[in-house]
Amino acid sequence: MDNLQELLHGFTIAVTVPHLVLMVVGVLLGILVGVLPGLGAPNGVSLLLPLTFGMQPVSAIILLSSMYWGALFGGSVTSILFNIPGEPSSVATTFDGYPMARDGRPTTALATAFGSAAFGALVGVILITFLASWVAQAALAFGPAEYFAVYFLAFASFVGMGGAAPIKTVVALALGFAIAAIGIDTVSGSVRLTMGVDELVKGVSFVVAVMGLFGIGELLVAVEEEFHARAVSSKIDWREVFRAVGRLPRHGVALLRSAAIGCWMGITPGGPTAASFMSYGIARRFSHRGRHFGTGEVEGIVSPETADHAAGTSALLPMLSLGIPGSATAAVMMGGLMIWGLNPGPMLFVDQKDFVWGLIASMYVGNIVAVALVLLTVPVFAALMRIPFVVIAPLIVIICVVGAYSVSNSYLDVVMMLGFGVVGYLFKKLFYPLAPLVLAIVIGDKAEDAFRQSMLISKGSLGIFFANKLVTCLIVGGIALLLLPLLLQLPRLWRKPASPATDAPVQERAII
Amino acid sequence: MISRRALELATAVLTGSFGVAVVVSSLDNGIGWSSAGVDAGTFPFLTGIIVVLGSLYNLVRGVVPAATLASVPIAITSIELRRLVGLFVPAAIFVAAIPLAGMYVASALYVFAVLAIPRHQSVPRALAMAGATALALYLVFERMFQVSLPRGALASALGF
Repeated sequence: MDNLQELLHGFTIAVTVPHLVLMVVGVLLGILVGVLPGLGAPNGVSLLLPLTFGMQPVSAIILLSSMYWGALFGGSVTSILFNIPGEPSSVATTFDGYPMARDGRPTTALATAFGSAAFGALVGVILITFLASWVAQAALAFGPAEYFAVYFLAFASFVGMGGAAPIKTVVALALGFAIAAIGIDTVSGSVRLTMGVDELVKGVSFVVAVMGLFGIGELLVAVEEEFHARAVSSKIDWREVFRAVGRLPRHGVALLRSAAIGCWMGITPGGPTAASFMSYGIARRFSHRGRHFGTGEVEGIVSPETADHAAGTSALLPMLSLGIPGSATAAVMMGGLMIWGLNPGPMLFVDQKDFVWGLIASMYVGNIVAVALVLLTVPVFAALMRIPFVVIAPLIVIICVVGAYSVSNSYLDVVMMLGFGVVGYLFKKLFYPLAPLVLAIVIGDKAEDAFRQSMLISKGSLGIFFANKLVTCLIVGGIALLLLPLLLQLPRLWRKPASPATDAPVQERAII
Repeated sequence: MISRRALELATAVLTGSFGVAVVVSSLDNGIGWSSAGVDAGTFPFLTGIIVVLGSLYNLVRGVVPAATLASVPIAITSIELRRLVGLFVPAAIFVAAIPLAGMYVASALYVFAVLAIPRHQSVPRALAMAGATALALYLVFERMFQVSLPRGALASALGF
């Protein structure tokens, strides 16, 4: 039980006064961005990123991950009380959460949501505790070809399972790769794709990209609609909190099933949003009270919330052990890791034990802190919803501008950030997925290096990708995922005259 | 009012021209195989080609809308467009003003202008918020994190 010992050591790092303070600050900021529509976990984490450059990596990641937990919880608050999802991943929570709150049971709805969310997160963290170091161990034996195959599989699964239009996903991915290639090539040292702008030699920092894509882009999407916050009462009745949590074990099957869906979607880059929709859809189909879904069913809250948090948490597993983030937020955090001078991937478990286990331990503590804080602060944050959007919007713009500037004291970065904002808006509006774009910007260079190194080893033969069982499986799996959308199209083409796509997969709706 | 079709086309043209730029620019680095392994331009070249092909596909899909596209023909209504411009244009002016006015002055003016000119807040309140923004920026960045923000050409001309 090496893992448990390491975990205990991790707790001695995570449970110190400065780190607990960071957790509280992170969770509160997270709830704030989660509650505010137009800001979400990826935005919040990217806005906070420039402030962590001077911190210890452990402290920095505890702050960022706590913010992530807070944002996940905060998104549910507005879904339930205002019928406005603060986060895309809590859209499914509005289906049953808001009706229940409107019927005069807001405390029950909130407590049920937080309770099942905490359960989902717990399952995710336990999974990380026991699986992450094992996966990392296996990955230590990987050569460049295996690495490229894993990257390929990750990119292919975005195309095959991401839910957005496959070609749009491919374009987003390829754009990310091209952006990652700008600047000095690490292998040959030659300057690439600067298009005559000397300042681009340093490359395009992914912080600049995410600030624009998520910060400004989402803001532009959010400003289109006017939010009418019509709140139900946000008073918390503490006895009802415990009663609601006490009733949760009755929904054990739904809890476990949703946690499993969430973990699966988190590890493969499906992400929390797809996970919560899928879990809700499956619960509605299998529950014997399925007909009542949408009118304030407990299981209609339990299922999406558990899956959402399980996915959000377990998305950190591939990031830590393989260096491949499972969600957009994890991709932003991984970019942070690289800026702090760490090399995400299996070597973390060898070189940076304190960092890894401190982070894992902080996930246990951080989620408890998050549940407690979110319950305590519901009335405060519910009141925040009444701040008009016109006041919040310029502040977010300023944070993005200052953040982009502070990455490398460059004005060009600020201008590029604004440009990325326009791209982010267009992509969001037309359902181009942003997560693969960010992922490709963050790990594009690594994927390319892995490819070129394997080509050097094999002297230019693609046969190296079929040299042993593991590589072959990964590559074949990746190709299968790439072709999946095409295969799904075939039966639809034949059936077309009979039934126009009535059975669109749940994930597709998740995107739209 | 902007139609979904126009927006799809514009985006496909945007991504496509970036793809073309990538392809052309990567040719300078050499594509293919040399004594040092895969040339530096190969990978960008391939991604550029994929971007161009994908954009062409999206372009065609945009011109010949499928059933799902036709159900939402209007992407941005005129009211939404006005709100968008209302947010983006001041933000762009703010960014353009930074080299001249510096980060502090520019952001204070920006907050004041956005709040006071459309009468969202009273003038004194907008002034207070503008001042608070600049002060908060100074405290957080200059003091806590020791990142110095640009003061602008105007301030350096005045000798700050």
